[in-house]
Amino acid sequence: MDITDITLYRAMADELNAHPETFTVLGECDMVLALVMRGDQEAGETDFAVRLRFEGLRCEGADEVAASEAPLADYYLDGPLAKWQAMFDDIVANGAASGRQTINSLALLATSADDVRLRGDDPMGTDKFSRFNQTLQEYLDGAARVAVSA
Amino acid sequence: MTVTEPAAASSRDYDSLPSTSPLGAPLDWKWLKGAKSEWGVRPKIGPRGLTMLDIAVGSYGDVPEHPTHRSMAPRGADVDPETPDMGYILNNKTDVWAENVTELYEEAVARQWSATRDIPWSELPELPDDIEHAMCQVCTTLTEVEMIAADLPAKWMWRMNHDFIEAKMFLCTQIMDEARHAEVFRKRALANGGGLLMSRGSSEGLLRTILEAKTYHQATALMHLLGEGFILDIFRMGELIAPSPVEKRMFRMAMQDEARHVAYGTMHIRYAVEHDPDIAEEIHEALDHGEVVLTQFGTNQDFGTALAVLLGGGVDHVESSGFALQAEMQRKQFTSYLARCERAGISRLERTKLPLDLLGIDPATVLAN
Repeated sequence: MDITDITLYRAMADELNAHPETFTVLGECDMVLALVMRGDQEAGETDFAVRLRFEGLRCEGADEVAASEAPLADYYLDGPLAKWQAMFDDIVANGAASGRQTINSLALLATSADDVRLRGDDPMGTDKFSRFNQTLQEYLDGAARVAVSA
Repeated sequence: MTVTEPAAASSRDYDSLPSTSPLGAPLDWKWLKGAKSEWGVRPKIGPRGLTMLDIAVGSYGDVPEHPTHRSMAPRGADVDPETPDMGYILNNKTDVWAENVTELYEEAVARQWSATRDIPWSELPELPDDIEHAMCQVCTTLTEVEMIAADLPAKWMWRMNHDFIEAKMFLCTQIMDEARHAEVFRKRALANGGGLLMSRGSSEGLLRTILEAKTYHQATALMHLLGEGFILDIFRMGELIAPSPVEKRMFRMAMQDEARHVAYGTMHIRYAVEHDPDIAEEIHEALDHGEVVLTQFGTNQDFGTALAVLLGGGVDHVESSGFALQAEMQRKQFTSYLARCERAGISRLERTKLPLDLLGIDPATVLAN
């Protein structure tokens, strides 16, 4: 699974939108966030960023953006590509994020730029990470179902 | 998104209507003529229905800085000058308002959940004795402290001017959320054959400090910024302390609710301080005392050791890893609180009563948080 391919995030959005029953209990959600994956430049990797737009019970947009545009979102999650890869590998292996690979635990335990950190300039925006956390987690867990059907 | 249409004049006159009832009582048909109201203003219904944001159109969306009435009349209605004063004491917008409060109300309504239905209670596994005891102790303390965030707004809401109805409505959702939190933690304490365990004075000291705050600004700083912020971080830790997916679900759902409450409090304090900087000192004074009692609560021997046991994965690991993880989590909790104060416009870095050195908190980390 190539986590720097925008089609993955669009497929996850389709997966979410195809199962509104899963998200109804979590409730409606309005947020724009970005996932920023920093490539190891010494290894020839480049940065990848995706902006996700949630409206109501749907993910209405998954677009590749420049990492420099991430601060325009309500908040963004910023970390090394390898840490993101480990998170997605865990999701695919377990069907959903387990242990300390949930997005909440990753951000909670982050101590430096070597971790996936919650970032943002607007407190009303960064609040949304916790307020809508489970909607985002369900979206990310959709990677397991997308991987199985791929 | 909302649109308004030009106000249309009433197409009928009602001058021929009777001036007395069949029983002879005098009748006033002023309401039928629309009086001063913006008849013809029509909000646009959005894809998910008609929200409070949708109906905040025209003068109905204007929240006055200093309402002229102190009655329960709906904001925007024509108010009879004889309408009695309800005795409100929070009559300035800075007293209760937050820029995000209407959005938070709609969000709260849309994201309600059921502690009966949405937690997979039947999947609770049999747990080792020490882990079950620790989870029951944590749930005992959480059940004890959660309802403060219901009692506190209930104490103040009836003193809030009714023109700030959106703030009062949001606080109603907070009360419902806290009832559900007390419910879910009480249920967890009892659901797996354990029970409710120890309650001590250090919890009550914090609760009493919050409940007895002299002003609403002080109350909300103590409750939303300090108390609920602290509990929010415990819920965020829930994934680390939960021994099974059942508890994980419980903490995750409660976390989202708690984050709304903290979001209101943070933005309320920010709004108040931006519009009336003199309020800052009043809030600082409350937090000077609140931080001391929160530290006592945070080092509560029952709650603290139970958390350490859960973080370590059992009493056999409490010394080797549990206490260290707990210290790390406390550092994050207090860092998170100080960062929240920064966002609220109440910097505590120069004034905090928290033992930053002892906690290992670097102020630079707070500012970067």
